[in-house]
Amino acid sequence: MAPASTVAPIEGRQGHYAGAVSRLVAFGADVGASWGLFTLGAAALAFSVQLVSGHNFSLSSHQIVSLVALVVWEFVYFAYQWASGGKTIGMALLGIRVVRTDGSPIGPRQAVVRTLTLPLSFLLLGLGFIGILTNRDRHALHDRLAGTAVVYSWDARAARLRWLAKKEIPTSA
Amino acid sequence: MSPVPGSSRMEQFAQAVAERVVNVVMDAIDIDALLQRIDVDALVARVDVDSVVSRVDVDKLIDRVDVEKIIERVDVEKIIQRVDIDGLMERTELGSIIARSTSGVASEVLDVVRAQGVGLDDFFGRLVNRVLRRHAEDLPLGPPTLVGPPQVRAELTAGAG
Repeated sequence: MAPASTVAPIEGRQGHYAGAVSRLVAFGADVGASWGLFTLGAAALAFSVQLVSGHNFSLSSHQIVSLVALVVWEFVYFAYQWASGGKTIGMALLGIRVVRTDGSPIGPRQAVVRTLTLPLSFLLLGLGFIGILTNRDRHALHDRLAGTAVVYSWDARAARLRWLAKKEIPTSA
Repeated sequence: MSPVPGSSRMEQFAQAVAERVVNVVMDAIDIDALLQRIDVDALVARVDVDSVVSRVDVDKLIDRVDVEKIIERVDVEKIIQRVDIDGLMERTELGSIIARSTSGVASEVLDVVRAQGVGLDDFFGRLVNRVLRRHAEDLPLGPPTLVGPPQVRAELTAGAG
């Protein structure tokens, strides 16, 4: 599996608008990460309650509490990460980040608005995401409402250097 | 005192006359015309440059140079863009040094995943552009402060700050 053919042409993409596939995969990774962390947290809570009170406790048996806790957790997961660094765990993996439409770092207000409007893109039968493919600046509905954009942040140049360096090892060693 | 009586006065007179004559002659000469008739190249060819250079105190000269000021005037970005990184990597041990210090399985996997992601982004982007009958060159690459020309980026960043 040689990354040569894939890495070379994308050199210098830092700051360019990210495409639909990178964003979709990053979002999928975030859903997995947030659900995983939530499940871990719920298990830790159940264990703590059982340890302190001696009674069996399961968050899933309290459906409304569980749902509210999940919604709050998802809000905190996305809003906090976008506000603090412009990227979530999934976005960091895929090398993309959220910025304002002019390219400056996202602030807490944009992070909160983006998190609150993200479900809108789903509620409109997913039509809110079509803009990532069709808009000139690849804005989804929640991007438009929050005044944000998603750009590539990974250093493809460094990746290419690493690849070139690796290619060089057998001859120099 | 001069052994010949009156010789001192004669010398003074001769000197005064000479000075006067030189001034008159100098005023009469057209220096520009004279310079035009001189073959400067031939003159320079006769100069022993090695001898001149050997008499120059280079250390003293360098001490007088403000290196910081020169570096400030150099466009480093432009120079770096002219460097053939690939060629450099092939000709030096730099490649193996970077590989040993930064390359790991995790980062390699990440690079591949990200590269594949960008490749698919491009594929779908091209597909949509074809359907919508628009050219990729007409579309903005990214936000102006991130992908605009360096001067524009600097202005926008300064304006935002």
